Amino acid sequence: MLIGLLYSRIRRDEKLLLQELRDRGHEVAKIDVRKQRFGLTDAPDDLADCDVVVDRCLATSRSLYATKFCEAYGIPVVNSADTAETCADKVQNSLALAGAGVPTPATDVAFTKESAMESIEAFGYPCVLKPVVGSWGRLMAKIDSRSAAEAILEHKATLGHYEHKVFYVQEFVDKPGRDIRVVATDGEPIAAMVRSSDHWLTNAAKGAETAEFELDAEAEQLVKDASDAVGGGLLGIDLMETGDSYTVHEVNHTVEFKALNDAVETDVPAKVVDWLETKAGAKQEVVA
Amino acid sequence: MVECVECGADVALHDTAEAGEIVDCTTCGAELEVVERNPPVLDRAPELEEDWGE
Repeated sequence: MLIGLLYSRIRRDEKLLLQELRDRGHEVAKIDVRKQRFGLTDAPDDLADCDVVVDRCLATSRSLYATKFCEAYGIPVVNSADTAETCADKVQNSLALAGAGVPTPATDVAFTKESAMESIEAFGYPCVLKPVVGSWGRLMAKIDSRSAAEAILEHKATLGHYEHKVFYVQEFVDKPGRDIRVVATDGEPIAAMVRSSDHWLTNAAKGAETAEFELDAEAEQLVKDASDAVGGGLLGIDLMETGDSYTVHEVNHTVEFKALNDAVETDVPAKVVDWLETKAGAKQEVVA
Repeated sequence: MVECVECGADVALHDTAEAGEIVDCTTCGAELEVVERNPPVLDRAPELEEDWGE
């Protein structure tokens, strides 16, 4: 079985995956997405013989198109193009979660500075303004006052790419200095950790401290529901504690897991590869 | 050893280095991409793009 790993940068996450796959004797093709040319009907040579492709593209835009091309060629890809499309965009992500009845922070989307300001004033201060595409806590704004809101909205409208004129305004969730990251495969948690920081952003990429977290039954159910809502796959599901319950603020489709692997006893890449073997095996049976 | 494309200093690669991995030049601090492993070839790492992430 040939497993294609689609990448543009080999992070520690990809190294962990490659190591685990090779240790188990799998044939792995590293495929640099930057070197590929995708035609409408025939797969690039590097992809053509893959039994399954694992999308680990660092750039969301590349991930979205590459997964669509894989599916068009009939090459199984994880995660699916639909899952990528839903997770890559915070608006689609929020709609999917809300549509599935998964608790998620109250959110407004507005297309002008004026209507965005109305949303901000309606939420009250503080509230949060996020880019619709982005990761690692970048370009996130906690808005504490009307004057700050006016400045941020003007900067986004004037300086930004057109996507920054899609104003994604969200309630500020007063979490207890931490959030929860769960890595799950088709809704089944592999492991979970809390990410703690004095800063309102608690992304591991922002330097938050991490520690293993044991999910209760409610959180496990939310992980499953959130995974189902976006189409399943290998996902990073982020929850915040709200006192007596949880809210799911995001699901990530090219999830990084090195910080989780460092924080927990579970061998995360081994569990990921267990799941990949199951997926690849199931797809081969279907093809046969 | 392979030469840093920024400052010309020698850069040592780990045995497990992979093409596509980023390494730092300990002399000038440049972020370098391992373009080829055998023989080793380095290039300047791409700048961070807005849609990068997970």
